[in-house]
Amino acid sequence: MTMNKNAKLLENLEWQGVSRRTFLKYCATLASLMALPPSAGRAMAEALAQAKRPSVIWLPFQECTGCTESITRSHSPSIEGMIFDMISLDYQETLMAAAGHQAEEALHKAMQDNMGKYVLIIDGSVATGLDGAYSCIAGRTNLEALREAAQGAAAIIALGSCAAYGGIPKAKPNPTGAVAVSDIIKDKPIVNIPGCPPIPVVITGVLAHYLTFGSLPELDKLGRPKAFYGETIHDRCYRRPFYDQGKFAKSFDDEGARKGWCLFELGCKGPVTYNACASVKWNGGASWPVEAGHGCLGCSEPDFWDAGGFYKALSMPADPLKMTAGAALAGAVAGVAITVANRAKKGAAKAAHETTTLADLEK
Amino acid sequence: MNEMQFLTWVRGPGLDIALSLFVLGVLWRLIEIYSLGRKKDLSAPRHKPGASGWHTIARRSVPPEGMFKTSPVSYVGGYVFHIGLAIIIFLFIPHIKLIESLVGVSWPGLPSQVVDLVTVVTLAAMIVLLADRIMKPTKRYLSGFQDWFTWTLTFLPVLTGWLAVQHLLLPYTTMLALHILTAELLLVFIPFTKLFHAFTVFGSRWFNGAVNGHKGVPV
Amino acid sequence: MTLERIPIRVEADDLPMSGNAPAVLREIGELLHRLAEEGVGGAIDLRSLPFLPGDRVWLEERLGCGEVEISLQAGGLSTFSETRFPGVWWVVHRNPQGAVVSEQVEVTRVPDIIVADPNDVRNGLANLNDLISGLS
Ligand code: SF4
Ligand code: SF4
Repeated sequence: MTMNKNAKLLENLEWQGVSRRTFLKYCATLASLMALPPSAGRAMAEALAQAKRPSVIWLPFQECTGCTESITRSHSPSIEGMIFDMISLDYQETLMAAAGHQAEEALHKAMQDNMGKYVLIIDGSVATGLDGAYSCIAGRTNLEALREAAQGAAAIIALGSCAAYGGIPKAKPNPTGAVAVSDIIKDKPIVNIPGCPPIPVVITGVLAHYLTFGSLPELDKLGRPKAFYGETIHDRCYRRPFYDQGKFAKSFDDEGARKGWCLFELGCKGPVTYNACASVKWNGGASWPVEAGHGCLGCSEPDFWDAGGFYKALSMPADPLKMTAGAALAGAVAGVAITVANRAKKGAAKAAHETTTLADLEK
Repeated sequence: MNEMQFLTWVRGPGLDIALSLFVLGVLWRLIEIYSLGRKKDLSAPRHKPGASGWHTIARRSVPPEGMFKTSPVSYVGGYVFHIGLAIIIFLFIPHIKLIESLVGVSWPGLPSQVVDLVTVVTLAAMIVLLADRIMKPTKRYLSGFQDWFTWTLTFLPVLTGWLAVQHLLLPYTTMLALHILTAELLLVFIPFTKLFHAFTVFGSRWFNGAVNGHKGVPV
Repeated sequence: MTLERIPIRVEADDLPMSGNAPAVLREIGELLHRLAEEGVGGAIDLRSLPFLPGDRVWLEERLGCGEVEISLQAGGLSTFSETRFPGVWWVVHRNPQGAVVSEQVEVTRVPDIIVADPNDVRNGLANLNDLISGLS
């Protein structure tokens, strides 16, 4: 792109034919998605208009490109697309035209030119097994690449459940020794944007926050922006009234399912999943998994892939009970054994008992 | 271990261990108790109306003359919290789902708002009973470690369950995991403490009643 | 294609309601009171509320239609419909494909975005002057 890197954001947008009102509308939408008051939309617009385009470097590690798909396939030209016009995406393997040595050069140039200032986006987990040899790009392990790129980064965005928690690669038995970005990098601000994949607008929201306020948004204990991960799916679910009334679909095609009743019994993990699907929705706000009739899998929580099965209700045992039958047997045996012992004692007492005769008493 | 792993553990291995110890303990104690055996009473039974095992089971569920006035808190509180517990445990839908997945039987539950209300009342009743136990010198004198311990064991799952549903204090996931964990602790201790009365109360009443009935004493 | 065009038949006999709509109506009342007293209103994001289909219909029916209807073409259509309570606007923003991206009830005298920005006015003036000076 031939945009002037030093121009203000709004100027760049205007140059592209984006009107101020379009921009305001975008900010208003973004503010409402981030659960900020409408006045913040205005403030955001003012700050964003003055912001400079930051350099962004995006490195893919052990991943499936689903996260990239999620963001690039969002309805375009979209508000997500717009935020990407606000940044300077200097390295993104899937999207950039350059390949091979050229790509590597672009990466290093971007890192040098923006030392200490660029935002580093990581998708995918980091393989640590065999010194990281399970996943390499241009002959270097992800582990090495991450350490190097993190050094000059102002902030890191761990995009998707893999980068945030280790993800599917970390599923038992974790053959590649996959870990999260935050397991390796300890000295940089990291935002986790988990989800499998994450909601596109969340990443743009975080970028917008960074552009607007020059800082990362407020994070929860798992490093997730509170604006999007502050409430559970269940809290915001439109099927919630049915949950409270005790109206549950028992199978995916029964009457309850057709009437849109709660999917708890079909394994919905909404009650323990912090994400914005229920309010932001997917595919440009068209719908979202629970609205489409499938329970939440819990994809924005750590280890959701090993949490006892997608179709098991949360209140059900996560694993089949293995020891209970044995324990019942052991209990019965213990009971019987004590009975036998008690009886034996009684028998012994009886045997030891001497009958008293009248003669004994008269002695 | 993060909260999700904690939850998965209590739903998986934790539940397995707790249920196993529970089943083991219950079977052991029941067999032990019911096989104790008594010598046959050779005296001729003295019949008197109202003197039998069944009568005692029913009669001991109502306060004897005058007792209600002496300790109303124990009676009212006791009833409220026992009935409350039964409603919470057996009529809250997620609990029914759990029972169904374990033993295969299920029944209709109550709307969660109703269970919520019952829970608040139950918690209040338990707190009042505890206060009464502390304030009344006789009750305090009669209380041993097990009384305080079993009160805590019973109170915690109810409290954490309620906090979880209300989203108070801790994130739901953690609170739910704590709820399940405390319920598992309760399960483990039921067979080995006074809490075993859940299984023996009617049996022992019947036995006492039958023995007294044989002697012609209505209890 | 927008979602509204997919023929979905809701099978419930009556549209189900969660009981949240009356609370929203009360909050709108609060905001309008503030607008009347202090001149500052506010907005309620409708899409982030746990609403069942019946709640929306209920709220729409209560608020009704007022005198003003504004449409804005900026990165997709936006409509601002004043309800029968002056100062209470039902706002729907759509993207260029016509899908709803946000829906709010805004309590304000005129929605901010409608008012022409001084910078834009200045730019517009410059353009207009160009045009005028081009007249022979
Ligand atoms: S469908 Fe899932 S998220 Fe929605 S109310 Fe039921 S359990 Fe909660
Ligand atoms: S509904 Fe649940 S599983 Fe589905 S995308 Fe949202 S958080 Fe992930």
